Amino acid sequence: MSETEKTAFEPKIVAYVCNWCTYLGADLAGTNRLEYPSNVRIVRLPCTGRIDFNLIIKAFEMGADMVVVSGCHPGDCHYTAGNYHARRRWTLFRDLLETMGIDLNRIHFAWISAAEGKKFAEFITEITDKARQLGPYQAYREICE
Amino acid sequence: MARIGVFICWCGENIARTVDVKRATEEVEQIPGVRFAIDYKYMCSDPGQTMVRDKIIAERLQGLVIASCSPHMHMKTFRAAAKAAGLNPYLVEMANIREHCSWVHQNREEATAKAVELIRLAVGKVIQDKPLDAIKVPLTKRALVIGAGVAGIQASLDIAEAGHEVVLVEREPSIGGKMAGLSETFPTLDCSQCILTPRMVETGQHPNIKLYTWSEIESVDGSVGNFTVTIRKKARYIDMSKCTGCGECWNKCPMSKTLNDFDYGLSKRKAIYLAFPQAVPARPVIDKNACTKLKTGKCGICAKVCAAGAINYEDQDEIVTEQVGAIVVATGYKLYSIGQEQDNEKYTGYGEYGYGKYPDVIDALQFERLSSASGPTGGEIRRPSDGAVPKSVVFIACVGSRDPAKGVSYCSKICCMYTAKHTMLYKHKVHEGTAHVFYMDIRAGGKNYDEFVRRAIEKDGAKYYRGRVSKITEENGKLIVRAADTLAGVPVTIEADMVVLASAMLPSTGATELAQKLKVGYDEYGFLSESHPKLRPVETNSAGVFICGACHGPKDIPEAVAQASAAAGKVQVMFARNELTRDPEIAKINEQNCAACYACVRTCPYNAIEKAEIRDRQGNLVKMTARVNPGLCMGCGTCVAVCPSKSADIDGFSESQIYEMIKNL
Amino acid sequence: MIEEIRQTCRTLLEAGTVNVVIAYGQSNPDGPVHPIFVTKPDDVEKIVWNKQCFANLTTYLTRKEVKSLGKAAILVKGCDARSLVVLVQESQVERSDVHVIGLACEGVGEPELAGKCRVCEVHMPVGVDVTIGSTEAAAPEGQNRYALVDEFMKKSPEERMAFWKQEFERCVRCYACRGVCPLCYCNQCIVDKNRPVVIDTSATLKGNFAWNITRAFHLAGRCVSCGECTRVCPAGIDLRMLNASLAQSAEKHFNYRAGMDPETPPVIGTYNAEDKENFIR
Repeated sequence: MSETEKTAFEPKIVAYVCNWCTYLGADLAGTNRLEYPSNVRIVRLPCTGRIDFNLIIKAFEMGADMVVVSGCHPGDCHYTAGNYHARRRWTLFRDLLETMGIDLNRIHFAWISAAEGKKFAEFITEITDKARQLGPYQAYREICE
Repeated sequence: MARIGVFICWCGENIARTVDVKRATEEVEQIPGVRFAIDYKYMCSDPGQTMVRDKIIAERLQGLVIASCSPHMHMKTFRAAAKAAGLNPYLVEMANIREHCSWVHQNREEATAKAVELIRLAVGKVIQDKPLDAIKVPLTKRALVIGAGVAGIQASLDIAEAGHEVVLVEREPSIGGKMAGLSETFPTLDCSQCILTPRMVETGQHPNIKLYTWSEIESVDGSVGNFTVTIRKKARYIDMSKCTGCGECWNKCPMSKTLNDFDYGLSKRKAIYLAFPQAVPARPVIDKNACTKLKTGKCGICAKVCAAGAINYEDQDEIVTEQVGAIVVATGYKLYSIGQEQDNEKYTGYGEYGYGKYPDVIDALQFERLSSASGPTGGEIRRPSDGAVPKSVVFIACVGSRDPAKGVSYCSKICCMYTAKHTMLYKHKVHEGTAHVFYMDIRAGGKNYDEFVRRAIEKDGAKYYRGRVSKITEENGKLIVRAADTLAGVPVTIEADMVVLASAMLPSTGATELAQKLKVGYDEYGFLSESHPKLRPVETNSAGVFICGACHGPKDIPEAVAQASAAAGKVQVMFARNELTRDPEIAKINEQNCAACYACVRTCPYNAIEKAEIRDRQGNLVKMTARVNPGLCMGCGTCVAVCPSKSADIDGFSESQIYEMIKNL
Repeated sequence: MIEEIRQTCRTLLEAGTVNVVIAYGQSNPDGPVHPIFVTKPDDVEKIVWNKQCFANLTTYLTRKEVKSLGKAAILVKGCDARSLVVLVQESQVERSDVHVIGLACEGVGEPELAGKCRVCEVHMPVGVDVTIGSTEAAAPEGQNRYALVDEFMKKSPEERMAFWKQEFERCVRCYACRGVCPLCYCNQCIVDKNRPVVIDTSATLKGNFAWNITRAFHLAGRCVSCGECTRVCPAGIDLRMLNASLAQSAEKHFNYRAGMDPETPPVIGTYNAEDKENFIR
């Protein structure tokens, strides 16, 4: 992909992250000055357990080209089990989306701890590149027209 | 239209270098609801905060967005500033344009655009913010301490001395724990009982300490500040108010075949017995599995000889409840039971060491009893099989510790020290004997600790071999210990008269069940988890529950005592207030809307949501609902996600706040 | 069998064991079968039992109007009994408050059996207080209860998306699916919530997608495949497919089937630390 094409489309990416791990992981990426693309908009929530599937749908409705959901690794949840509950829901929800033909390349889940600033920066870089390649999420935009 | 003030910080050059702060300020002013936007070099500085406070008053602001660093850095600062200017502190939001923007993006154009976007999201949220008040919870200034070993005793005495009542629960018949059975303690070799028993007596007599021995925690309800604890007082068959502890009963009891737990099976005791001579309370208990009267109805000698009439064969378990505001867990440890059936199938044991098969292979706590003046041999080192004085003793360190294959992967921490101590105690009593030690590494960090180990080796002549013992067999009354000396690179075989295994420390039996009742986390071994390994070492994630001693991980007496005092200190900090305040960013239920499916009740990691009834004034049931106990809710919001009707919501991260943010995307 | 049903209901009403029987009725022999609420012993003659008894009557157990009638007896087919289990699990129905009359069922629908009946595994209802009738009918051997979904998943994601667009294009947001579902018992549905508006209420494709995703997901690990939503949909949208997809997911990942056992904890709101997570980075 040439430089001009790359800049031609800049995806909108929404990241729902938990307050205690991934948000702090993103803070650490900043403290360590780890550069990553500026497309991502972080929405801070207390816990991945709080992240409801309706939030994911709403993000697409608002024109997101990609949604990221991230929180503490299993066993590390600040609230002991919010991420375990979340994981179950995502497992089911992904299957539903798949049946509906919603592109699972548009939704990414990750465990990123407060110590994983590097993982955060790399992850965001990688999925932003992917979102650029995928182009605008036309299918959902058409639904929302 | 809302009156929102946006304060954009330069953070010196940290933000301003990549974000065009001036342009961002202009663009942000266009966002609906924004009264004004203003930039400043250091918003967190005194003049910066003064500006924030002045603007709140002058512009009659209804909310603030501080665009600066991470809320983890300065949310508290700006909430305090808002509060000082009369604005509810929960009407402050932050846009993280430093860690999440200027520090991670180089392109000035992009960074500026993103900063404006982040501020736009924050403005959306702040418009939906609601004023919140810190939650006030009444406080019962009374503490429960679970476990009366040295840590529990220390914590109880500290809290009691501070003037608060303590309920101390111990499941054994006497307080004292493991320390009461130790011989002498490292690195000073002072007699364990000499230092502990005065503390035990003090505990037993302290006017502020209510002692429940031979009792266990049945359940714990309520939350920080107001726990209701249900305690099972096991049937003791002794009327404690009548018994004088004279000893007639246990002297006359004809049943003397039961292994004495206090001596770890090295001696026998009666069916009615005093746990040990210095027991507190100095009252006996009847072992219902050993007592002929209780088993068959015959005998009854103890009742006949008891002048006080204190024997009660009809005694039953009794359930009592106590109200407390804080809980200290000090349930201690046990040793890995080598070569025996393991309560965790992961552990495979050390059958090759012959523990349980050869009577002269003993563990470290048994050796403590053998070398204790009050022990089964009166402090003489005599081996269990024939009472002979062993001339050659092998001590094996790290049995079960640092061995993920057969035991636990952690270091039990105290074994290097007590093994050195054991060699000294042995040598001091059996001058002509030889103490051999097999070890992996010597870990003797601590004040005067390494010196102590050096003394054992250099002055008292213990022979240390770096290497593992592969097998122990018995030949002609000798224990043949086969091992490798890895430093010399040669195999070693020692004919020993006795072998002492320094086996791994494990959390005491029932610790995880108790942890579940207290909603305290624990690791894969069952050691209780502290809230933060550095900064909150005696707190747990269950508010109002503190931990100390070996229930948290292997530790020695000084550490356990220090931690106990720390836990007691935390309790006193709590009790220094008259009521508790809690962060109000917690869940709430729209009870009229709630369909009472109780998905939230099932989900809540803190059991903070309960099934409740709504009744009218006549007392008729109107409907069922879920209800949040604000004292327990920690604000994770998992209930919100599982509530189909969104009758559950969470202040600070409410549905309205988050959707308003996303709408501003 | 119908006489036995009527007699059972009459006895219950006469003895005062229950105040109301929730049953099937038919105003005229060619008309549709509808639910009836029998409170007088003589009215048991109005009860019918035939191939048109599609409705899952457990839906009415949670209705305020029905609850106000007092203790109820209810007719259930094997499939309906499963939703009753879920209602009990979710504290909507106190099992001891309901007298459950199970009906042996060889399937509803004439001349053709309803889709769900062709793969039915519960011809004899379980967990009921009394069963009327008997049947030898059994589930076809080696059947794949998710054959419908598996077949559909052979399509490409784009084709699937196109399919659902076509389907949801027709949705008029009448919420009949919600009204008929025994497990949609919320006092206020999320779609009717206006602060904030989570789901667009207008019958646009955007709103229809959000609504139907939400409806399906709120039934994840709960739907017992009674098929009523699909039967009542005036637009003929194949809602069952989404429910079946989630049921398949719950069984595949968590070995859970809704309404089979009141003692098994529901799949949502519980967890296992060892749950698979190969999609999470």
